[in-house]
Amino acid sequence: MAARIAASFAFAVAAYALVPFAFSGNLYLMSMIVAALTIGGIALAWALLGNLGGLVSFGHAAFFGVGSYASALLVMKAGWPIGISLLAGGACAALAAVLMLPALRLRGPYFALAVLAYAHIFRIVATEWKGLTNGAGGIGNIPRFPVVLGYDFSSKTGAYWIVLSLVLAFALIYAGIRRSHLGLALRAMHDSEDATRAVGVNSTLAKASMLFLSAFMTGMMGAFNAHYINFLEPDYAFSGLWTMLPIVAAIFGGYRTITGPLIGAVVVYLLDQLVFKAMMPIGHQIVLGALLGAMILFAPQGLQSIFARRLPRLRMTSASGDA
Amino acid sequence: MTELVLQALWSGILTGSSYALIALGLALVFGTMNVINLAHGELVLLAAYVAYTCESAWGASPLLAIPAAIVIVCIATALTYGLVGRIRRDRELNSLLLTYGIGIMLTNGILLIWKADIRSTKSAWLQDAIVFGPLYSMRSELLFFAVSAALIAGLWWWLTRTWAGRAVRAVASNRDAAQLMGIDPHRVEFVSFLVAGLLAAFAGAAIFSVGVIQPGLGISLTIKAFIITVLAGMGSVPGLLVGALLLGLTESLTTTFFSSALQELAGMVLFLVVLFVLPNGLFGTRWRRAH
Repeated sequence: MAARIAASFAFAVAAYALVPFAFSGNLYLMSMIVAALTIGGIALAWALLGNLGGLVSFGHAAFFGVGSYASALLVMKAGWPIGISLLAGGACAALAAVLMLPALRLRGPYFALAVLAYAHIFRIVATEWKGLTNGAGGIGNIPRFPVVLGYDFSSKTGAYWIVLSLVLAFALIYAGIRRSHLGLALRAMHDSEDATRAVGVNSTLAKASMLFLSAFMTGMMGAFNAHYINFLEPDYAFSGLWTMLPIVAAIFGGYRTITGPLIGAVVVYLLDQLVFKAMMPIGHQIVLGALLGAMILFAPQGLQSIFARRLPRLRMTSASGDA
Repeated sequence: MTELVLQALWSGILTGSSYALIALGLALVFGTMNVINLAHGELVLLAAYVAYTCESAWGASPLLAIPAAIVIVCIATALTYGLVGRIRRDRELNSLLLTYGIGIMLTNGILLIWKADIRSTKSAWLQDAIVFGPLYSMRSELLFFAVSAALIAGLWWWLTRTWAGRAVRAVASNRDAAQLMGIDPHRVEFVSFLVAGLLAAFAGAAIFSVGVIQPGLGISLTIKAFIITVLAGMGSVPGLLVGALLLGLTESLTTTFFSSALQELAGMVLFLVVLFVLPNGLFGTRWRRAH
């Protein structure tokens, strides 16, 4: 236990101090890392819904978009402070998830597709509701993160610290739920939903709460991104990429783990942007599609399961001395 | 006013016929294999781009491109089938993710080959107006309406009157019992994938001939096909046809009386209403609900 705490502490120091120290000179790389963590936060929320709620969503772009627009508009039109607006963005995304509740009555594949259709609706509404969102023209000059205690959080490193803190908080919440009674009920539902209902668990409520939480987290990531990028338009905020990249990241890293989606996001996003995009300026996401397909076929539990399978064997061979 | 409504209804029926082809393909695969092919819309789009290439590179009519589109799309569906068939665990959800990945590959492959530009047919013959009393339409719309009707009739005949079609229905209604009767479910699944590809090839040629195409269209075609199956309740061929016509009518009435920008939204609203009010669809079957 002490070793784990020490390891976590060392990781936190490395994440908060070493990364900015090493890369803050390279603004391009730093912005890549911030974007990767943003994807990582959504991937974590997506995996939470998939792992604990047993629901595969193809519509997280809707939560992301709603969160980003809500936060930007609350700050610009209602004058809310940016910290509060991040939470409000998450809350609005959770509110959007309420609209999806009827879809919860649908079986697995139907739910996934219904949410895909919902995401489409939100994007059209954001484009057509010109009075609120300025439609396809978008919103510019969204306020940046403020100066707090003399430190300017609108810098790349400031944004990095914010997004890192959000993602770590999400991971802690996720871990807490997994250990709680609710987590136990959700795990039991994964094995047999009928049996779990029979012992008195309200399975629809449990699933719905995971949907709300996942939407809330994704909305907060959207809100963060709005103030970080300072510009929104419907085709960007509700882009299918905000669904696709987290899915590929979570499946790649292993969506049944907490660290998997985060590692997956960093690896997948950096590979996509730094390697594939350099090779093919358009259509480079073809590689991500192939990666997703390959993971589903050969390692549906993600990259970590491959290592987990390999490691015991390696240990055994080293213990036996030869081979 | 009456003429306007009649015109909107007429256009809606013509559009609905291509939607029916797409939805039937999606439903056929879902029926036999319990797999929703999220790449289905992209396969339709692929056929549309094959038609575009035939027209722009060789000056051939999009109609003549259909055989080539059938070959290419059926190869793609066969590959999809091969990959989906390899999934062993939790096939229902993993196949969604796999076909989603295939859809991403197809969209980006289309983007790589044909670029992001919006394309439409340049054939004046296809775009000629055909007038029946107060009702206007393009020749291509009428032509593909006839083609769709013929295909649907053919599909109905195949499903009800041939052994291969009966096998498809047998596997869809009870896989184990069908297997005990000596039907190879894998072969039936493969055949249903190929038939879905065939329908997608015709639908793609239709979509290119009557409208505009661009690489992002695939996913919205999949969503439309899905909405139709929700409307229908995914039980029967007639249910799907009614669903497709309803979607086509809703879209054309919205375009006529509100704006074309709201067209897609109207279809979505229809979908939501059905989801809220009739969760089992208009022709509900029992198994779609979780409980």
